[in-house]
Amino acid sequence: MRHRLLGLEDVRRRNESAWLIPNDGSRDNHRLRDDMRRFPDSEEVDLVVVGAGAGGSVLTQRMARAGWKVVALDAGPFWDPDADWVSDERASHHLYWTEPRQIGGADPVPLGSNNSGRGVGGSMVHYAGYTPRFHPSDFRVATLDGVGADWPIAYEDLRPYYQTIEEELPVAGEDWPWGDPHRYPQQAHPVGGNGEVFMRGARELGIVAKVGPVAITNGRFGNRPHCIYRGFCLQGCKVNAKASPLITHIPDALAHGAEIRANSHVSRILVDDETGRVTGVVYIKDGVERRQRARVVAVAGYSIETPRLLLLSSSKRFPNGIGNEHDQVGRYLMVQGAPQTAGRFEDEVRMYKAPPPEVTSEQFYETDPRKPYKRGWSIQTVSPLPITWAEHVAAQGHWGETLREYMRDYVHWAVLGALCEFLPMPENRVTLADELDRHGLPVAHFAYSQSENDHQLVDAAQGVMEDLLRAAGASEVMTIKRYAHLVGGARMAARPEDGVVDAHQKVFGVENLFLSDGSVLPTQGSANPALTIMALAARLADRLAGPVSMVR
Amino acid sequence: MPYRAPNQRAVTPQNRGRFPGYDVLDEVERWDDVTAGAVLERLTPITDLSFFSKEEDAIATPLCDLLLAQDGEPKIPVVGLIDVRLALGEGDGWHYDDMPPDPQAWRESLQHLDDDALTVFRLKFAALSRDQQASIVQAVQDKSSSSESWHDKPAQQVWSLWTRYACAAFYSHPWAWNEIGFGGPAYPRGYKNRHVGGREAFEVADHADRDPVPFASRVEEARRNHAKLVESGNR
Ligand SMILES: Cc1cc2nc3c(=O)[nH]c(=O)nc-3n(C[C@H](O)[C@H](O)[C@H](O)COP(=O)(O)OP(=O)(O)OC[C@H]3O[C@@H](n4cnc5c(N)ncnc54)[C@H](O)[C@@H]3O)c2cc1C
Ligand code: SF4
Repeated sequence: MRHRLLGLEDVRRRNESAWLIPNDGSRDNHRLRDDMRRFPDSEEVDLVVVGAGAGGSVLTQRMARAGWKVVALDAGPFWDPDADWVSDERASHHLYWTEPRQIGGADPVPLGSNNSGRGVGGSMVHYAGYTPRFHPSDFRVATLDGVGADWPIAYEDLRPYYQTIEEELPVAGEDWPWGDPHRYPQQAHPVGGNGEVFMRGARELGIVAKVGPVAITNGRFGNRPHCIYRGFCLQGCKVNAKASPLITHIPDALAHGAEIRANSHVSRILVDDETGRVTGVVYIKDGVERRQRARVVAVAGYSIETPRLLLLSSSKRFPNGIGNEHDQVGRYLMVQGAPQTAGRFEDEVRMYKAPPPEVTSEQFYETDPRKPYKRGWSIQTVSPLPITWAEHVAAQGHWGETLREYMRDYVHWAVLGALCEFLPMPENRVTLADELDRHGLPVAHFAYSQSENDHQLVDAAQGVMEDLLRAAGASEVMTIKRYAHLVGGARMAARPEDGVVDAHQKVFGVENLFLSDGSVLPTQGSANPALTIMALAARLADRLAGPVSMVR
Repeated sequence: MPYRAPNQRAVTPQNRGRFPGYDVLDEVERWDDVTAGAVLERLTPITDLSFFSKEEDAIATPLCDLLLAQDGEPKIPVVGLIDVRLALGEGDGWHYDDMPPDPQAWRESLQHLDDDALTVFRLKFAALSRDQQASIVQAVQDKSSSSESWHDKPAQQVWSLWTRYACAAFYSHPWAWNEIGFGGPAYPRGYKNRHVGGREAFEVADHADRDPVPFASRVEEARRNHAKLVESGNR
């Protein structure tokens, strides 16, 4: 039995999603969708969730189970992996959020395919699949290192939720020695060429590297089949092996009476100017503006769209946008520095053959007192497919014949990426631009600039990755600087002067508005964020549904 | 199984590549049909452009040919593939706040290549020789490397726009996959031999045994040829 914690039945009792998927080779339960409960706009539901991604889907599933009437609105489609997704890089463009956005600042962060998704399942449809936990230190960075911020909650508050979500995805990996040491429900996957190279180089340098942690099922899980190692995780997993909320939480939510309303772009949150409570949302579906009334609203549109929606929702009561009394909305948005280093090997590596997420080292995650900078980075395999690999080569300045010659050598390269903990800064923020989108709504402008500490982390991580690949036998290395992940923008804080939501993810100054996505993170560590976003959503659900509900 | 004429087998752009006889399309039968449809569509001839005007095409075609060193047949229709994308409004969404949205940025930057050609050679870009065109393009890249602006736009952003679209078009094409030995779509088949040095039965080994020139020398030669092209245009 590959699923170690004998709790498989237990998981199924909590969340039946993997068993609600058909086991006849089709990837989607059309029956469940056809039979979905549908609420009229005029009915006041208990909860409207904006965005059915990592955070929104978990909250929807949990609250539906708790007996609440829940509608989740998502701007994008309700995907069917069989019909809508392909095993191809170029033709996966529709998975990304491609509505207009502006980027600026000293170090602008390109968005699109590299950052955000659209449609039921959210960005996890095309995320890589790494699901590490944050370290306990991430919650106390200001106290420990004098930089960033402290969270108003501690690692221990999230630990039980990390564990339950790891079981539901499920996560496969070796026993984890870093942060709060823990085990995973499934054993680690075998590694491909890129993972082998990483392990070899790490061994040479005495760096500890471990296989995982990935939310890719190792062996059958319910009716979800084993990974077939085809390397298209970032294009959406047609196999249903890689976890995304579309298959890990939405089926169970539907079975418990939630409605998922796709292709519904929420344009504002409605406020009662008398009471200051929110009363529902305005959304656009098929070109028509509609309203959905609700007792409670939770926004989970990710770090750019969540702040944008709060800013767009200005009213007499909240003239600068909702939750923005202290000018905090959109601030402290973070990306991780993600330098990517490639090494050339005489042997054929053919890195496209395994899932890009294979092996990780968190050895450099924490502050090293001997170094001039604070905090650190992690290293992971990345395995770009040809188009993304061409971007890597072109970023070196190669074009024409040189570009072609490098590209022709694709099968000989192995690629690693680092995730560097860039620090949160108030000027890194989302504001509204003059440009309008096709609905006539101002688009988001995202300004980003790095700090000195950030630059130092990137350089140090690049040095280690280049050493590691050389130690593994690379004859040439090349590094490009890029970014990964977005979190923050509406952060959690102890006081309204320092953030947008409190320790329960309730927006300061509004009794029945919550945020349930990556925008609430005050720091980001060097971990990929999806697991933490889901764990936070599960915790929020417990608070909302608990015996003493937080909603007054 | 789609039929392919014998001369349509194992095609690589300009007949270059390191995996002789390798034809990723031999596996079409083992792909799911949605993916097969998306990939095979790229083989459809593109006869008329909808986004680029005739004048723009005359600039975009040599530009993309240079960026990807497509100096002969068979050619991947890079401009056609970019045109489809721009016509459908299938951009990346985001744009730098000091740049217009992608479609407009394409039109303007092509016009600026013409402006440069007129300034330097008193001819339109399309009328220049290949090496002259290369020298104009190289000048934009030089500005990009030193973070200068080009016609009041950051050269880096213009360069990234061109290379992003051109590379996405070229390396989405199965002929390019034949050239670089990429295994292509793999659903529902998957991969079995995933270790260093491993190959599936349908994959072909790198040509190293028959063309033992080490990688470093090949790249060196490509660099030299590239530099020669650009320099002769400067003269
Ligand atoms: C290429 C890539 C690789 C990644 N790899 C990893 C990884 O390996 N591990 C990891 O942990 N993370 C990874 N991530 C990041 C991860 O996917 C995100 O952090 C996570 O999904 C964010 O969760 P969320 O709930 O905040 O938002 P999302 O999951 O993005 O969900 C937001 C949803 O809201 C919808 N929405 C937005 N605005 C509106 C609106 N106004 N009205 C209605 N709906 C709206 C969107 O359509 C979307 O479905 C990766 C991301 C990308 C792009
Ligand atoms: S490699 Fe595995 S997890 Fe990734 S997309 Fe393919 S089958 Fe899914």
